[in-house]
Amino acid sequence: MLIRNIIEESAGKHADIMAVKWLAKKEIHERSYRELAENITMVRKGLLAEGFIGKHIALIGASSVEWIESYLGIITGRNVAVPLDANLPGEDLVDLIDRSDSEGLFLSPKHTALLDAITAGCPKLKKIWILQEQEPDVPNAGAASLLSLMELSKSTEADSDSPAPGDTATIIFTSGTTGKSKGVMLTQDNLASNVAAVDYTREPGTVMLSVLPIHHAFCLVMDWLKGFSLGATVCINDSLLHMVKNMGLFKPDVMLMVPLMLETIYKKLSAASPLIPKKLVAAKAFGGNLKIIFTGGAHLDPYYIDKFADYGIDVLEGYGMSECSPVISCNLPDDHKAGSIGRPLSNVEITFEDGEILVKGSSVMKGYYKMPEETAKTLEGGWLHTGDKGYLDEDGFLFINGRVKNLIILSNGENISPEEIENKLALDKLVGEVVVTGENNGLTARIYPDQDVVAAKRMNEEKIQKELQAFLDKYNRNQPSYRQITGLVIRKHPFIKNSTRKIKRQDVLIDEELPTT
Amino acid sequence: MTQEMQFKEIVAQYCSMDPEKITNDMRFREDLGFSSLDFMSFLGELEDTFDIELEEEDLVQILTVAEALELLERLQEEA
Repeated sequence: MLIRNIIEESAGKHADIMAVKWLAKKEIHERSYRELAENITMVRKGLLAEGFIGKHIALIGASSVEWIESYLGIITGRNVAVPLDANLPGEDLVDLIDRSDSEGLFLSPKHTALLDAITAGCPKLKKIWILQEQEPDVPNAGAASLLSLMELSKSTEADSDSPAPGDTATIIFTSGTTGKSKGVMLTQDNLASNVAAVDYTREPGTVMLSVLPIHHAFCLVMDWLKGFSLGATVCINDSLLHMVKNMGLFKPDVMLMVPLMLETIYKKLSAASPLIPKKLVAAKAFGGNLKIIFTGGAHLDPYYIDKFADYGIDVLEGYGMSECSPVISCNLPDDHKAGSIGRPLSNVEITFEDGEILVKGSSVMKGYYKMPEETAKTLEGGWLHTGDKGYLDEDGFLFINGRVKNLIILSNGENISPEEIENKLALDKLVGEVVVTGENNGLTARIYPDQDVVAAKRMNEEKIQKELQAFLDKYNRNQPSYRQITGLVIRKHPFIKNSTRKIKRQDVLIDEELPTT
Repeated sequence: MTQEMQFKEIVAQYCSMDPEKITNDMRFREDLGFSSLDFMSFLGELEDTFDIELEEEDLVQILTVAEALELLERLQEEA
């Protein structure tokens, strides 16, 4: 099965149903399945006319109809899409475009300030298209509009061949435990089989509101590809500022969320007067039609499942990771157990090794792009090593009860590699040693100040605190919110080390003078 | 009710704190325990309540209650 088959089937069956709705200048705009499929074909033909066959093409931007049409234009042909996190600092984006060997780039109009840095830092890049319909007014010869790419298709009959099921369709970057993000290579069949294996159907025209970042596998595959396979109308949330307002506007039936969103919404729900009936509170908060919230990306406290049930909403938790396209197991409307992460999908085989969940199946990635050692380690023995510990109960439901890898999972679903951030914080002269930990759903930097700097500058505790906080504030300004440091602990003693002088992470909370040997 | 008090009543919904006890030097994340999404959702509410429009880019500079109040006043003056 190919993603192209999914799109063509939906365009045939649901031609006049709206596929996408979005807000622009306070007006709702929409695209039918017929129009969507036509635009995707135009992008695909345009790429072929530009000589892009078997090439990597990156995308930088928030969710938009242009983004998803471009993405599907890439992967329904024989090219590979590389969606990147638009909130990353410019230097990280340049690094990822270059490391993924991307030769084309779709860039949102909001990011055109990065054009010079990108053209200077990515020598393999041949073409940049701005994700807007009119010609970009930026003085850069390398950048053209999406419209001009689509126009190219009009002068040619030639359309790209379909890819093979085993061809890489997309490379999704995910936090690496070694401090360098890894490019997960997913094939056409990986994606299409995940869409098919999530055993959930709705009437065509079901309204979904997409509020997660589109470069994430969970959003990309389960909001967009699964949504399109059902003939759903996927509405775009223009900003997290407006999530609640947009629920009222688009009136979704189904939504995908990360636990953080449920936590925030619940704060709002519970702040309403107890005199107002819960049904009315829910209608105001969710638009009146919402029945199901699928949640994933991080573990949800089952407390919220009960609380949302009081408002008539079923919260169904699932489990997955980019390396598995992404869903591994999922609770379903008529088959669920609170606290579990659902039954494994039909295309998934599960086993355990020292408690760690290992996965095999048609959705497991091909490997990490240009990282043979990491790939061999993660896919050792033909099983995907998830890094999570868990068990299956007597009814076949999967539960998680710990982690093997040193990765911080925040309730917004972001996986944070502490080493990646520690390397950046260590650049400050006053930072002698640093460990980043996940606490209270945020990141805390535990810093042992460099004693030479403290002595040279004759710093007291207050001054150290002030200077380190100022450094963290400066660091935070350049980071997406999930990578910001919200807590600072200044240590009195160095961290405890093992025999190879590496910090013992299990002991980072201990701050005592060590006996000298 | 003053605008500042109305503002603090919205803040209080996200941190279960008495609005009177919220001081202007408090930091949203560190002192009031706002998650990144609480902060976004709170600002969305400010937009609706005070009829202003915020750009996501402006928001990274806001750390304290005082800074958010200043931004609100500035946007109202510009409107």
